[in-house]
Amino acid sequence: MRTLMIASALALGAALASQAFAADTIKLRDVAELSGGGATVGTNFKNGADLAVEEINAKGGILGHKIDLTHADTQSVPGIARAQVQKALDEKPYVLLGPGYSGSVKVVASLAAKAEIPEIIGGEAAELTQMGNPYLFRTSFGQQSTMPKVARYIHDDLKAKTVAVIWVNNDFGKGGRDTILKEFAKLGVKVVADQSTEAGQADFAADVAKMKEAKPDAAFIYLNEEESARILKEIKKQGLKLPLIGETTLVGQKVIDLAGDAAEGAMGHVGLTTDAPVPAIQKFRDAFKAKYNYVPDHNGIKGYLAIYVIKAVTEKMGKIDSKLFAKTLHGMTIKAADEPGILMDVTYDEHGDIDRQGFLVEVKNGKQVVKQILPKLGK
Amino acid sequence: MTGPRATTRTLWPWLIGLAGLVVLLVLPLGLARYGLYILSMWAVMTIAAIGLNLTLGYAGQVSLAQGAFVGIGAYAGAIATTNGLPFIAGLALAIVLCFVVGWLLGYPALRVQHHYLAFITLAFSTLAFLVFRNEEWLTKGIYGITDVPRPRIFGLSTDGPLAFYYFCLASLGLVSLATWWLIRSPWGRAFVALRENPVRALSLGVDTRRYTLIAFALGSVLGGIAGALYAPLVEFVDPTPFTLTLSFNLLMMVIVGGSGFFFGPFLGALISVLLPEWLRFAHGYYLMLYAIFVMALLAWSPTGILGIVQKLIADRRTRRASATRAAATATFTAEKSS
Repeated sequence: MRTLMIASALALGAALASQAFAADTIKLRDVAELSGGGATVGTNFKNGADLAVEEINAKGGILGHKIDLTHADTQSVPGIARAQVQKALDEKPYVLLGPGYSGSVKVVASLAAKAEIPEIIGGEAAELTQMGNPYLFRTSFGQQSTMPKVARYIHDDLKAKTVAVIWVNNDFGKGGRDTILKEFAKLGVKVVADQSTEAGQADFAADVAKMKEAKPDAAFIYLNEEESARILKEIKKQGLKLPLIGETTLVGQKVIDLAGDAAEGAMGHVGLTTDAPVPAIQKFRDAFKAKYNYVPDHNGIKGYLAIYVIKAVTEKMGKIDSKLFAKTLHGMTIKAADEPGILMDVTYDEHGDIDRQGFLVEVKNGKQVVKQILPKLGK
Repeated sequence: MTGPRATTRTLWPWLIGLAGLVVLLVLPLGLARYGLYILSMWAVMTIAAIGLNLTLGYAGQVSLAQGAFVGIGAYAGAIATTNGLPFIAGLALAIVLCFVVGWLLGYPALRVQHHYLAFITLAFSTLAFLVFRNEEWLTKGIYGITDVPRPRIFGLSTDGPLAFYYFCLASLGLVSLATWWLIRSPWGRAFVALRENPVRALSLGVDTRRYTLIAFALGSVLGGIAGALYAPLVEFVDPTPFTLTLSFNLLMMVIVGGSGFFFGPFLGALISVLLPEWLRFAHGYYLMLYAIFVMALLAWSPTGILGIVQKLIADRRTRRASATRAAATATFTAEKSS
């Protein structure tokens, strides 16, 4: 009798406890550029993250907890990003997502670190993870790991001795330009034209004319998607024939759609692309397109991955603990075989930088064709 | 503007100011860091808007460069303090720099007015942004200046959000008092004369040339002070916040609050900084709601919120006056008929 009472009391207690447990949601807060200059970046990130949350919640959440994710707009201004991160941190989230702009990340990273809450960012500027912040994690390659690959390709495979560098003058473009210039210097590739352009610039006639005058063997183009399409068209118009190399933003589907056959032959290193020959990514792209009715850029994949990184780490720990999260993710490898949502195997290093397979693609017949698969550096 | 004729009328602004001050002192005690940050931002933006109100509201010079002066102040403060100088040195640098540049920017205002002046100041804004971004040796370009320290005041650290908020509030208080004194001084009256009728002001012996330059310089100095506070508030300075958008925003604060009213910038900044935050429940639509609100407000009352208040007061006064008049007429006719 007595044992029965104890047993039933225990059972009741356990039932109550598990109920309280299940009722708790995992609080995630995203601070993103939903308006202003970075609206494309932030909105893609948000949609990707929402898609992942929807998928996970439909399958019962993480460790039985539903995810509660909300988004706040920074208007692409660091001062407002700081306010929104402050607000998000006051709500004591499990993990903080965003922001996407590197400048905003710099403002807020120390706040999240002080609150001991991990922050998964979209920013790619090289210096972000060099600040020694143990709570900061990327979702994509930093420029310090992509630019050496691109520079080496230009030097080794294209045998270019001189190169023109055209970049957009914001923290993204400037960061990439500064990093690749160092790499070119190391390899002995001479930069014969170094041209800064404005975000949102419409006319590239003068820039292309200058580039034509400099007669480089190859051109490295590092602009946002819309501007990439415009410069590609201008290059074709002025009849300039030389290898054009860039990054995700030169060879993305959006650029190909906008530039038409002017994009033919453009090459680029791509860390995350919806056109990658990986079935999981194709599946993600279809799901995204079905939900939002457009094909996402790499920022959409970043948002999606961020949520699945959180899922993988939390399931590995078996509990919800912000501090332990940061410790666990450092040095962790997440395999797509174990967690399909991660799309490709990924390894986090001690700085919060990632290592993942990359691709070198060329635009052929209006499609990205993978020329080389660049393996993980760790292997 | 109502002049200091009756004592009850001049007492009102003081009472409102005092009530506002009590709220501003007590309210933050219950706020989390987010609320404190927003309130600090309000105080900083109010200072900049007070400056623009001086140039635009009192002296009638349309300027789209106030955001650039906030930028100049922010960079002056950030560069000075990150190089080991105390906050006060950065502030002094911001004030001197903005005074000189503001004075120089006033020269075009001697030749052109209204839209044309707006264009010139707009060009200056763009120029300032390009300097912030391209002169890397000085401003660190697009990467921005990180770790701008918060000041120590009389040995007290303002690192905490509450301490820094009070610091911003105290600065706002000092700026308000100085402005209150200024607009009641002969200078302030000369500014209004400049706005209302420059030719007449000139014929009455007001040196319009000098006062135009002073109006620009002083307005810019307040922008610079706001900037010098903005840098340690955000603890980071990069060129992106100081585009034309900020100048437009400050212009909007002055106009929405009530251009040419002493309390206009306080209310305008309140709406510009706080309203978008309150509207965030509407998610993706919050900026749209905000824009609609501002448009509706200005369509209803082109003179801003304080314009509405003034209209109400004036209406009541007219009604009271006509009531007394009606009563007086009534007794008069009554006396006549008897």
